[in-house]
Amino acid sequence: MVRVRSLALLAAPIGVALVAWSCDPQRSAVAPTIGTPLAHFHVFECTPLKITGGGRIDYPPGTADKNPPASHEYETFGAHVMDNNGDCSPEKGQLEWVDHRPEWNINGSPLNLHSTAITFAEEATDTDCSDGAAHWGGTLLVKNTGEEAEFEVFDCDNGEPGVGHDGFAIRVPAIGYEVMCPDPDLPPAEPACTLTGGNRQFHPTHR
Amino acid sequence: MRIDIFRSTVRVLSLVLPMTWLASSAQSQMRAAARAEAYGLSVSTPAVTQKSPYAVLPVGEAMATDQGQSVSVAGLATAQDLFAIVTGDADAVDGSTAVSTATLGVVNLLNGLITADGVVAVASSTISDNAVNSNTEGSSLGNLVVGGTEVSDPAPNTRMTLPGVGYVLLNEVRTTGDGVTSSGVTVNMIHVVLQQPILGLLGQVIGYKTVGNIIVGSATSSVTR
Repeated sequence: MVRVRSLALLAAPIGVALVAWSCDPQRSAVAPTIGTPLAHFHVFECTPLKITGGGRIDYPPGTADKNPPASHEYETFGAHVMDNNGDCSPEKGQLEWVDHRPEWNINGSPLNLHSTAITFAEEATDTDCSDGAAHWGGTLLVKNTGEEAEFEVFDCDNGEPGVGHDGFAIRVPAIGYEVMCPDPDLPPAEPACTLTGGNRQFHPTHR
Repeated sequence: MRIDIFRSTVRVLSLVLPMTWLASSAQSQMRAAARAEAYGLSVSTPAVTQKSPYAVLPVGEAMATDQGQSVSVAGLATAQDLFAIVTGDADAVDGSTAVSTATLGVVNLLNGLITADGVVAVASSTISDNAVNSNTEGSSLGNLVVGGTEVSDPAPNTRMTLPGVGYVLLNEVRTTGDGVTSSGVTVNMIHVVLQQPILGLLGQVIGYKTVGNIIVGSATSSVTR
């Protein structure tokens, strides 16, 4: 009995230390660098995070003002990513993106991007996004053509409500597609374009 | 004797109190909810019931989507490029969110009585320690024509009569929740209510009865603390 107690006394601190170590954020990012120099979204941390929501962007220009509805100059989307371990390798994630601009009508339908794998997610720590920001991505399917391509998004939760505050941007270099707003004067943090509808919600989990 | 009673009380409290904390914590975890639903076109008459594309946020999941290149219900509705996307997350600690979008390209209802080109329905709900809100910002109707009249940017719950058919509600908005522990909203961008006259004994019209509904671009979101 005494031996069992001694073993338990020894094992308990080791267990606590292991749990604490598993929750400690790792400072090295593993995301690919496919972006151009930006004023924000430069500094990243591997840390547990979750960001959810969707909505509408009116790009170009990507400001908080809606374009005339008849212009079809807008994009709608849903996106979420979750990294519980804080190792920059998300356990879950999904992106659905629709670009309604006539110039992006491909094979008779609006450009429709659908993620097939989310391979990285990291917290961006140098933005003006008050509630948190993330840079994440992976591979997607261009549903209009069946092409597979890599993508990255710049995701910003800048308070409530999401409309007029939060931001989102996407790049798919292989098909020459991007909806990005690289203007430091545009709130909340370039290159994220401002939402004209919907919301992004960042959760710093595990802290 | 008094010390014994005191010790017993402390013992009972030390057992019962943690249980109440656990119960209240579990209750709050169970209450937190995020619901989202979106669809492009819904037709409901005695002869036809159809809703497509249709996305509903599954419990415990963060996203669902559906789409259709074209939908047609003979004599009642045709629509192209339809997408429904719903996202959400129920989190009792950090707050919950739900966002729904439904978008359509060209829409034609009742053989051209109502046409539009570019319909967007957005519903968004959020609840956290410092914010509770629901809104339909981002919703819009492009090139909307009702009975030959161009209608731009209709105010919420705009009603127009459709002689011989019924009436249409444009940008129909309904809110739910108490604004403290729950909040929700539904937006239907075009809602046609099909009606038939009720005739009296002498053949005069004494009222109308609803015989069907056509809804174009519907988005719903709601959250509970």
